[in-house]
Formats: sequence, C-alpha cells, structure tokens
Amino acid sequence: MNTVARRLSGHLARGTAMIWVVTTISFLIIRNIPGDPVRGQYEKLIEQGMAPDQAERATAALYGFLPTGSLWSQYTDYLNGLIHFDLGQSLSTPGTGVATLIGSAAKWTVLPVLGGTLLSFLLGVTLGVYAAIKRSGRLGDALAISGSLLHGVPQYVIGLLVTAIFTTLWPILPAGGPVDIEFDPGFNAPYIASLVQHATLPVLTYALASYGGWILAMKSSVATVLGDDFILAAELRGLKRGVLFRYIARNAILPLFTILALSLGMLFGGAIFIETIFNYPGLGLLLVNSIGARDYALMGGTFLVITVAIVVANIAADLLYAVIDPRVRAGGAA
Amino acid sequence: MRRLAAIAAMSLIATATACGVGSSAGSGVYTTVDGAKQIDATAPINPFNPQGNTFLGYDAMTLAWPKNDPVDRNRFYPGLAASWSATPDQGEVVIHLQPDAKWSDGKPVTSEDVRTSIGLAYTQGGTAYAVDPKAAGSAADVRVVDAKTLKVTQGASKSNLFLRNVLSTVVVPAHVFGKLLPPGFWTTLKTARGTGPEAEKAKAQVTGLAQKVISFAPAEDVSAGPFVLERVNPGEALLVRNKHFFASRNIAPERVKVLNYTGNQQIWNYLIAGTLDSAPFTATPSGVLNRIRQTDGNEVVKGFSPVAVSLAFNQTRKPYDNVHVRRALAYLINRAQVTKVASPEAGTPAQTTTGIHAASAKSWLGGDGMAGLDPYRVDPAKAAKELEAAGMTKKDGRWLKPDGTPWRVEIHVPASFSDWVAAAKAITSQLNDYGVDAAVLTAADYTLYLDELAAGNYDIGFWLMALGPSPYNIYQRIYGSANGWQLLAGRLTRVPPGTQGNWMGGPETVGGVNPGALTNRLNVAGPDEQRRIVGTLAKLTNEQLPVIQLYDYVNTQFVSTTRYTGWPRTDSDVLRLPAGVWMQLGMIKKAGR
Repeated sequence: MNTVARRLSGHLARGTAMIWVVTTISFLIIRNIPGDPVRGQYEKLIEQGMAPDQAERATAALYGFLPTGSLWSQYTDYLNGLIHFDLGQSLSTPGTGVATLIGSAAKWTVLPVLGGTLLSFLLGVTLGVYAAIKRSGRLGDALAISGSLLHGVPQYVIGLLVTAIFTTLWPILPAGGPVDIEFDPGFNAPYIASLVQHATLPVLTYALASYGGWILAMKSSVATVLGDDFILAAELRGLKRGVLFRYIARNAILPLFTILALSLGMLFGGAIFIETIFNYPGLGLLLVNSIGARDYALMGGTFLVITVAIVVANIAADLLYAVIDPRVRAGGAA
Repeated sequence: MRRLAAIAAMSLIATATACGVGSSAGSGVYTTVDGAKQIDATAPINPFNPQGNTFLGYDAMTLAWPKNDPVDRNRFYPGLAASWSATPDQGEVVIHLQPDAKWSDGKPVTSEDVRTSIGLAYTQGGTAYAVDPKAAGSAADVRVVDAKTLKVTQGASKSNLFLRNVLSTVVVPAHVFGKLLPPGFWTTLKTARGTGPEAEKAKAQVTGLAQKVISFAPAEDVSAGPFVLERVNPGEALLVRNKHFFASRNIAPERVKVLNYTGNQQIWNYLIAGTLDSAPFTATPSGVLNRIRQTDGNEVVKGFSPVAVSLAFNQTRKPYDNVHVRRALAYLINRAQVTKVASPEAGTPAQTTTGIHAASAKSWLGGDGMAGLDPYRVDPAKAAKELEAAGMTKKDGRWLKPDGTPWRVEIHVPASFSDWVAAAKAITSQLNDYGVDAAVLTAADYTLYLDELAAGNYDIGFWLMALGPSPYNIYQRIYGSANGWQLLAGRLTRVPPGTQGNWMGGPETVGGVNPGALTNRLNVAGPDEQRRIVGTLAKLTNEQLPVIQLYDYVNTQFVSTTRYTGWPRTDSDVLRLPAGVWMQLGMIKKAGR
C-alpha cells in the first residue's frame, strides 16, 4: 500500500508540475496570438450584412471583457483564479463563465469520442488478432488492407463521405446538431432516440477513422507475441485454442492499453473535425471557436482541461499497467 | 448478453420512433438558420448580449424595421412603434407604440419599457445612445408622454441617422430588465452628459454597468414579438407562438426552429436535404447552388445588398503610393471574369470604382455623374502607359519597378473567405498574363487578417465597402479610420499614415479636397448637400483609386415552397430583414391554403 501511495504521490507531484508548465506556456502563446477580438467581431458583423453603426453598438461593450494590465499581472491573476477554480469569463459569450462553457461542451464530447473510441478499440483489437493469426490467408489480408486504407483516410474525409451518404443520398440520419429540440429533454424514449440518431454519424466517423490504427497495432503486437517462446510452449503442451487465444490477446494488448488510456485522455480535446462537420457542440468545436474569436480565457480553460485530462490519463495508465502486467509491478520480478 | 441484446433492440426501436416523429414538416414548424450568430446554449436570453439567445424579428423586437432601400435610409416598416414623426432636422422624434402590443406574459408594452431599453442601451454606448454629449447624433432627453407615446430629443451635435438609430432600438420589458438600472440612473446620465470631474465620474458609472447588462440572464424569455423562446440546446433553438403578439393573425407557423451551423457547408447540407424553410445568404459555389435548386421546393430570391468587395491599397508602401500604378492595375483586372469565378450567383461585376454599390450609385450620381467617371475597362495599352508614367519598365516580358528591381504584386486574403480567395487567384492569373508578377497570400483567419491589415503589413488586401444605404456608412469605409480619419467625441482628427490603424495611408487632401472631412459632413448634411458631397467623393475615388471596386454583392436567399408560400419577391425591400419580420407583415402562409 505504501508503495502505491509513494508512486501516486510522485506521479501527482510530477503531474502538477507538468500542468503548471503547460499552463504557463499556453498562457504566453495565447496572449501573443495576433488578432484583436473586438475588431474581428466588428468586421464579422459587417461581413454578415450588419450596418456599421449597429455593428459598432454590438461590439463596443466587449472591450470591458478584455483582460487588462501588464502581462505579468494578467498571469498572476490567471494563476490566482486557477487556484480558486475560477477559469474566468468568456469574451465570445460575454458574461458566461469559462467553466460553464467547458462543462456544457464536455458532455457532448464524451458520447461521440468515447463511443467512437471504445467501438473502434473493440473492433480493431478483435479483428487485429484474427488478422495476425490468419495473416497468410485472404481474411487476414482483407482485414489488414481495410485497416491500412481507413488509417490513411483523414477524419474529415470520412466525415464528409458519411454525411453525403446518410444525409443527402440516402437521408436517414440528421445532418447536424446533438438532439432534436422538439423533444422534451429527459429520460424519455423520443429524446433518447433523438440523441442516438444524432450521435450515430459522429460515432461512426470516429470509429471508422480510428479503427485502422487499432487493427494495425494489434496485428503487429500479436505477430510479435506469436513468436515468443511461451506461445510455442503452450502449443507444445496442447492447450486449447481458446486458452491460447487468451494468452496471445492478453500479452499483445499491453502496448495498446497505454494508447487506449492516452486516447481516453485526449477525449477532452474533442474531435475537432468531426464536431465541426456534424455541428456537434463538444470541446473540439469550442476550442476552434475560441481561437477564431481570440477568446483568451476560453482558450486557456480548454487547453487546461485537455492538459489535466492527459496528465491524469498518463498517471492512470501507469498505475493500471502495473495491475495488468505483473512484470512492471514495483519490486516485482520480471 | 441478453441484456445487451435488449438494449440494442430498445435503441433501434427508439431510433425508429424518433425517425417517425422527427420530421417536422407539416406540423406548423418553421425551420431556419440565424445568419447573424451561432447558437450558444449557455448564453443568456438577453438581446444586449452579442451571443444572447434572442432572435431578432421572432422574439426580439425593435421599434421599426428598416426597408432595404438603396438610397433612403429613413424608410421603415412598423415594429413595436405603430407610427412616428420627426422634425426636419431630426431634433425631436415622437414615437407612438402599437396600441395592442403586449409581452408574452400578458403585460402591456408601454413607453416605460422603451425608456428602460434606451437607458440600458446607454450603458453599451454607441450611436444614438452615446453618453458623450459631443458625439454626433446622440439622444439628449427621453421623455414619456403617455403610456403609448414617447419623445426622444437629439443633442446639439446633430446627425441625420438619429431617426434610424432610435427606431432600431431593441425593446426589452422594464419589469424584467428594469432592475439593472440603479435608482437615480437618469440623474446620473444627465450629469454624465455635462462636463467636469462630476460628469466624468457619472460617465464611468453609466458605462460601468455594461458588463452587468450584458451578463444578465433572465429566467425565461418575455417577448413582445410573434414568438417566445421555449428552449435551446447547443444545436437548435425552439420558439413557440406568442399568443399575446399584437399582429398574431398574421403569423402562420406555430413554432420556429432555429438550427445552429458551424460553416456554410452545414447550411448547404440542410438546404439540399430540404430541411430549411428559409436560409440567409451564404457564399455558394455554382455546383452546390445547382444541387440546392434540385431539391423539391427550393427557390432562390435575390435582392439589393449594400456591400461590395474591393482591392484596397496601402499607400504607404511603394509603388502603391503612385496613382498611376493603381490605375494600371484597374485597367488590367477583368472584373467580369473575376466575378464569374468568385461569386457568379451572389455578385455583379462593379461597373467602375465609385465607392458605392452600383444600384445606389445610379440614384446618387444620376446618368451624367456616372458618364463622367472612368469605367476602367480592360485595356492593357492604357495600363502600360500608366506604368510607364510611374517610371516602370518592361524587360523580358515582365514589369520592373523604377529602380530596376522586379515588381511583385502580393494580394492578401483571409483563407476562410472562399470567394475572396478565388477572386484573388483570378486577378493574379490575369496580372501574370500581362507580365506583372503576382501572387496570393492567405491569412489563417479573418481576425489575424484584419490585425495584419491594420498594422500595415500588407501591400494590397481585400476589403468590404459600400456599406449603405447611409452615405456616411458608405464612405467611412474608404475615408474613415482605416485611412486615418478618426471621429472622437464628435471631433474629427487625422492620424499619420502607418499609425493607429491608418493602413490605407492616403493623402489628407487631394486637389484641395479633404475626403475624410467631407465623409464626416455626410452625417449632418441635408439631402441636397449630401448629393453634392457624394458626387465629389465618387469622382475623387474614381480618379485616385484608393481601392479598386471588384464586384457588388447580391443578397441571395434560399426559400422552400414545400411547407410555406408567400415569400418576398425578387428585389423586395424586406429581403434583408429576418423572416420573423416577413411573418409579422403577413407574408408567410402555410402551403396549400
């Protein structure tokens, strides 16, 4: 127990230092991005056809939401806010707290990204084992080729393709948005159905885009394990195919487990292209919009959430790795 | 395993259920997109918040709605004001509210609501409600005459935009928003419009309320418009009919669904799928437009849009300080071809450079005025003469600068504006054909582009102009702050080229004419004087070419006749107003009736 606590406290100290470093770097980068947010907003309204006097009126009060003072005082204010869990106020949605915006977006990111990640992981890992075992056959070739093809196609291309197919050529699914506003929000069949309907294309796109990576990684990992002595020994002992399969899968999945843990950490970065294509209001879309609007506080808050999620995922992966692989347990023999 | 199968089956059934009831066609729902902003479910139901969840024309109402007139900016359709009158100098505006106007909670709309709205507008600053008494066209006094009548008096520094700005006031319920104004607000405002330390302190108190007003989040929508917000999620907003709306019989839809969008692509997809009943203009490639038209019921309605796009020069950078170089480029650019490539459906090639949209130019300048302008038709011979006059030489088929170094024209555009990028590429292709080395350089986004432009880092960039119908708005894009003329507290000042956002860097006077001063004069001049000034500025712009006008935008909107009819016709003066206003005017009716 003491060993685990010592490991955890070490991880936490390193993680906190890492978060501070990344926060400081991102703060400096964000404050040095060129572009005046108020002028940008004014010209955007002009471009949308608003009369200059109206646009001026609509943007004048935004100046009050811009950070003031020297860079150092802005930095100390920012850190002071963070210590008190205050991420500041948004400029692009003036008067709304950054934490509120991030909280609102996070729930929409979880469904497509987590759903897509888990679906592609399960499919990729299972089929990857078969692709490796049957690598000399047609099935193995077909699976490997499908993985390579999908791995090479960018997310946004897959997104646009499924949009064209399922919303235009064969319009059976909605083109965008997270849920139909006509249904009363809550635990009722039409609302849940609408959620599922709207999430289908983002999840499908995410799963298709990441499936290739999993299947190729698993195939490669299994192929390596297949050459290990313990597999040969197991075969010589005449173990059943099911047991042998479990031996292979359990050992081959170890490297993928780390990637999965990091992918789950990246979950809070959202899926920028997918969320943009499907108008899915997750963290990726929030980040893109905040950059476009030069919303310093929102950018900083989003980067912070992504950083914390990745650091936490790293720590979790490291600790859980020891659980699933006895060889890396502290003090354990290899 | 059984449990998993049951969940999967439930999901399928539920999805099928949603497919069945998800289609809102024919159920009295009107589906549209708000082109002015993207939906943010966390934003308050507050029209003072730029991202607020209120929708102009549906649940947010102004006193009146401006008609889309190419010249006359003082023509309106009634909104919450049934009628109004103004003295000739617009010194006094009297507003009579709709006698039957009520809020969605049943309370009557009164003059006090308008007065409170004006008070709140003062905290935001700008135009008719600037705290600074020297600011042109700001209100000096707001007086409630009776429950349905209000008098607004303009300050000493008059503007002919006063009536327009007063009638554009968004009216909010005093019983919801009134608490934002502290006791004694009107006394503080009166003090703020004076001079001295007390006035400065009072001014700070009034403008200090801005953030509080913007951040205010009412628990529910209280609307005087035809609809009231029911709920909003990050992808859509649902508005339901306001049974207390004063012209309720004109309103056909029971509900309005406003869809969010992340880009033009999304709006095109909605249109192709036949989801939208109406959609605002988006820059649409010909292929996509044809695909949209193929969907049953989809139609395109076009009208006047007081916006044009131009190639603007930074005259602090050589050789663009030389008018001959600018003219040479004007003679080399085939505007018709550029428009055909960049905006075939939503643009018409500029007839020449006047600073004004062609539709307005005819009215302002008349036939004689237009005839006196150089049309800058494509003429390589004239261009060569102009370049030679600028001291340039041609060697091995390429033009060189006067000092013998190669001349390279760099045109900057924001990468996200597809029509501008296409136009810039067409121009550089044309210039290269005529021996002028030219290239397009893109900025990552519009905000960065504007920053670089204002910093004077570009030689030539694309620029929106001709923002009518007000002639002051038209010319302040060329002879305003981007060219060094700044209007501060009602006083016009000139800042040196290359400083404080003066990136155009044109001369202060040309032939004894100060275009910035004339532009500022447009704010206060009477109709005859305005016409003379516009004539002078158009001629000057045509000769000096601080910009080359490329194409005038056409307001291209999409409507579907599948569920509703009675759409505005081509060139209708309501086309730039939200569809909610069309409904108020009794235009939109359910199909088949």
